[in-house]
Amino acid sequence: MKRIVIIGGSAAGMMAAIAAARQNLNAEVTVITQDSMPYRRPAIPALIAGYITRPADAKIFSAGTLAQHNVKLICPAEATNIVPESKIISILSNGKEEKLSYDAMVIATGAYPLIPEISGCDKKGICTFTTYEAAAEIIETAKSANSAVVIGAGFIALEIAEALMHKGLDVYFNVRSRILRKLLEPEVSEFLTKKFEQKGLKMLTGEAISEIGGANSVEYVMHKGKKIDTTLVIMGAGVRPNVALAEKCGIELGTTGAIKVDNFLETSVKDIYVAGDCAESPDLATGRFVYMPVGSVGACAGKIAGANAAGANQKTDGFLRAQADQILGLQIFSIGHSTTTAGELGLKVRVYDLDAPQSAIKNRGADLFDVAKVLTDSDDRIVGAQLVAKKHGSQFAWQLYKAVLETEDRKEFLQRFNSPRMRVAEALVHALKSTVVVETVGAEKALTLADEANRKNTSW
Amino acid sequence: MTKVIMVDIERCLACKSCEIACAVAHSQAKVLEEAIAESPKPRKRVTVEAAGEFGVPIQCRHCEAPLCIEICPTGAIQRQSEESPVVVDKDLCIGCKLCMLICPFGVLQIGPEGRAIIKCDMCLERMEEGQEPACVEACPTKALRLVSLQEVTKPKRMAAAKQLVKEIEMKESKNEGK
Repeated sequence: MKRIVIIGGSAAGMMAAIAAARQNLNAEVTVITQDSMPYRRPAIPALIAGYITRPADAKIFSAGTLAQHNVKLICPAEATNIVPESKIISILSNGKEEKLSYDAMVIATGAYPLIPEISGCDKKGICTFTTYEAAAEIIETAKSANSAVVIGAGFIALEIAEALMHKGLDVYFNVRSRILRKLLEPEVSEFLTKKFEQKGLKMLTGEAISEIGGANSVEYVMHKGKKIDTTLVIMGAGVRPNVALAEKCGIELGTTGAIKVDNFLETSVKDIYVAGDCAESPDLATGRFVYMPVGSVGACAGKIAGANAAGANQKTDGFLRAQADQILGLQIFSIGHSTTTAGELGLKVRVYDLDAPQSAIKNRGADLFDVAKVLTDSDDRIVGAQLVAKKHGSQFAWQLYKAVLETEDRKEFLQRFNSPRMRVAEALVHALKSTVVVETVGAEKALTLADEANRKNTSW
Repeated sequence: MTKVIMVDIERCLACKSCEIACAVAHSQAKVLEEAIAESPKPRKRVTVEAAGEFGVPIQCRHCEAPLCIEICPTGAIQRQSEESPVVVDKDLCIGCKLCMLICPFGVLQIGPEGRAIIKCDMCLERMEEGQEPACVEACPTKALRLVSLQEVTKPKRMAAAKQLVKEIEMKESKNEGK
């Protein structure tokens, strides 16, 4: 019987466990996690906003699911050491040390929040949000706070800001450069900044917070020489990989500081695989290894790492980063590369504005989406796309996703994207294929309209 | 899928009865009076969208080859068989929102419960009890109907047949007139 040990109980680790169990039905799969139970980390903003009140509401990969796949869970427990030569792992569970032997292993230790170097960072009232314990601290501090400062740049930092606004706090949002710098073009960031300000989020951009002041706990922060009174500061300035355990047993790290992997997600040590926020992952467009701490990428990588640990031979050419979120009433989509991430890899890109295609329905053209961009490489092939819409952005986002995934030629894409006839026909074909239609009358009408428009060559 | 929810947009008044019924059907109490006081608030899975002069109720199409199933990294979105609706397993959903990105119809939403994804499940619980989906039952003008594909195509075939017969009859009467 093959013994597979997984360290880490979040998306990557649990997917690895389930994939390993599916790959090798006789395998003995054990997951070791520090959390008291596996939970959904994107749920933390909902917890802070008060939409849910118990961690159990966000539990994930429940006992039932695990039992179904014959996966054993040891929690809360900490993996303290790995000896790759004799294939033994030491764990600390309830104060007791235990030794387990393994045949293959997946490390999915995740990441820890980065605390930027600001003077006064050790004060009470400074919180992070990657765990429930940290979220509980935010909730407790927020009870007596009138305002909060969120330092960060990503989607989750914005979600936290929204959650705190929902609680009635005055929320200041600090980014050194601009919001979602890694994911969006400057123009899109600027558009969002304006919109968020209208919704009441106070933006502190252009410069980092220079000082967090107060006696023992936070009383104020300084930004651009201005004093802002607050008792709650939230650090959301990104994450760094948890590599201490891997480093200790001699696993090689990559240039990004995360654990180095090959295309089979195996580390430099044989039979030890790695997935999720602690590891590097291959980038789909370039094949180069980058640090991409994104949940969906982690889960995909977990699936491959788990299967390979159980004896499969799955190779990945790379992962496509795709993120979507809804913040303060705006849907934001970012797929593939932005100028920032492309620049880091030395990939030359061009950015194009995307106009809304003419709608099959009258008077709908203008408000289909707010901003959209596509990025192309030197061969004019699409390597990235971004979109902001008030609602139903996904009707375009899926086309953008397809274009980025297949690195479609921009001109071909535009032809498909802009042709009203095509759009209706495509929708029809899709609907017919899905055998679920539906608005027969509407669709026929739309087709006639499209035909007429094509004949007259007018816009509608 | 043996039965589908058919929408006749010419009948829709945009009264949003389907939206309320949907939220109530997915509440804990299943009764409007109690559902409105629940926390987290029950959420609707169908939305009536304004499009030109029409109101169009839009919910999950339960596609034959669903992109959401294809893209879900954890396999949380699944269907039991080809005939059954596409549903989300809350237990596996990590809230990465990729399905929201990929769905051409924009019918997946972030739910209130820890941001797992919610979507139309064709009222599985109700259907098992032999009831119609809540939105269908609630629609006052029968703009939403639960029909088999046969029922969609049959009236069209009949109309085509009638048209054919009518033309033949007209021809014959013309000939007789000569």
